[in-house]
Amino acid sequence: MSHQSDAVIEASGLVRRYGRTDAVNGLDLKVGAGRCYGFFGRNGAGKTTTIKCLLNLLRPTGGEVRLFGLDPARHEVAVKSRLAYVPDYVAFYPWMSVRETLEYFASFRPHWNRETQRALLGQFRLDPGQKTSHLSKGQRTQLALIAAVCPEPELLILDEPTSGLDPIVRREFIQTVIGAYQEGEPGRRTVFVSTHLISEFEGLIDEFTIIDEGRNVLTLEADAARGRYQKIHARFPAEAPASGFAAAQLLRRSGRELELIAEGNAAEVLDRLRVHSPDALTVEALTLEEIFVCTVQPRGLVA
Amino acid sequence: MLFRLNYKAGKAVYLQLVDQVKAAAASGSVQSGEPLPGIRPLAEELRVNRNTVAKAYAELEAQGIIETIAGKGCFVRENHSPYKKEVRRKLAAATMDDAVVQAHHLQIERTEFLRLAEERFDAFQDRRTRAERA
Repeated sequence: MSHQSDAVIEASGLVRRYGRTDAVNGLDLKVGAGRCYGFFGRNGAGKTTTIKCLLNLLRPTGGEVRLFGLDPARHEVAVKSRLAYVPDYVAFYPWMSVRETLEYFASFRPHWNRETQRALLGQFRLDPGQKTSHLSKGQRTQLALIAAVCPEPELLILDEPTSGLDPIVRREFIQTVIGAYQEGEPGRRTVFVSTHLISEFEGLIDEFTIIDEGRNVLTLEADAARGRYQKIHARFPAEAPASGFAAAQLLRRSGRELELIAEGNAAEVLDRLRVHSPDALTVEALTLEEIFVCTVQPRGLVA
Repeated sequence: MLFRLNYKAGKAVYLQLVDQVKAAAASGSVQSGEPLPGIRPLAEELRVNRNTVAKAYAELEAQGIIETIAGKGCFVRENHSPYKKEVRRKLAAATMDDAVVQAHHLQIERTEFLRLAEERFDAFQDRRTRAERA
């Protein structure tokens, strides 16, 4: 195999066109084993199309995809037996009960942790005898998560898993990914989660890629990102200066007040602001969600 | 002990956990021999990656603040730094420099600064003593 590497997911120059629309347009991605990787983008940015290419549900128009170093189109079974996928919309056979659905899923898997199944059914208060057609949206997602965690796959791919769920269910969902999924061999349990509800996953994510218009615009370690982006608020005795600070994004400006985002050059920006003797000057890190917003929707740069 | 995370602090999450355990041990709100929460329950409670908690505990162990007992978990140790006195002084001096810089910009004079340092030192000692008696 010419594509052996430690990466669990690898995409290079991935392109997927629908007619004349480029849904994914030259995406590069590399996810190492044991990582909790965030894949952030707006609706229509190309997240789901990318995931479908990873899973061989869609054929890429161009570029390469490797999972566990294998081409998912040529080694479909070998790849799929090592991962589990929770899509944003989950459908089950409506005539099956919760228990029958899980048995059905388990029949495709070489390994199934019955103890985890029992524990999670109890934790989610799901009735094994209930028909899946009678489940709420939250309960369907919980069932899909149980079906994804029990085979203890090396890779868990979540596509907008918590959108449309109530806050309690969302919390339980994330706690289950952290607890039940990551329980054994954390170094070999990789999570790849696409979402625009970034703050929910803030603590879980240790590396992320922001995708916009089918391309990756930013890839960073979460801790590095929080150290790099700073929001600066300044209040001046008179009208706020309109220029004279190092390159920074201008967030808001009103009379004597100014809000800027510095990317890696906060010290320099602060020095320039101090020249205007501000009454107040505060600095705070950006959350991952704020970093997402200022990356995908940048304001004008001021110099 | 209860941990609190602040994603706007600009400080790596694992370091926030490390600093909170260190502060709790210094002020006596956790005492030597007390267990820390297990990695999984703490990760679930804070909804953070369990690698983050594991990294924090590894760092605390390297600094001699906690010890891991196989099969039992992590426990706060008797105050015992693994570093030589020379290194300990250097580490403390580096942090004190930050306080001196801050004091300069806040126009706090030398004598006032030293009095404040003593006051803070005593405050922690008091809290520790009270915690031990309780």
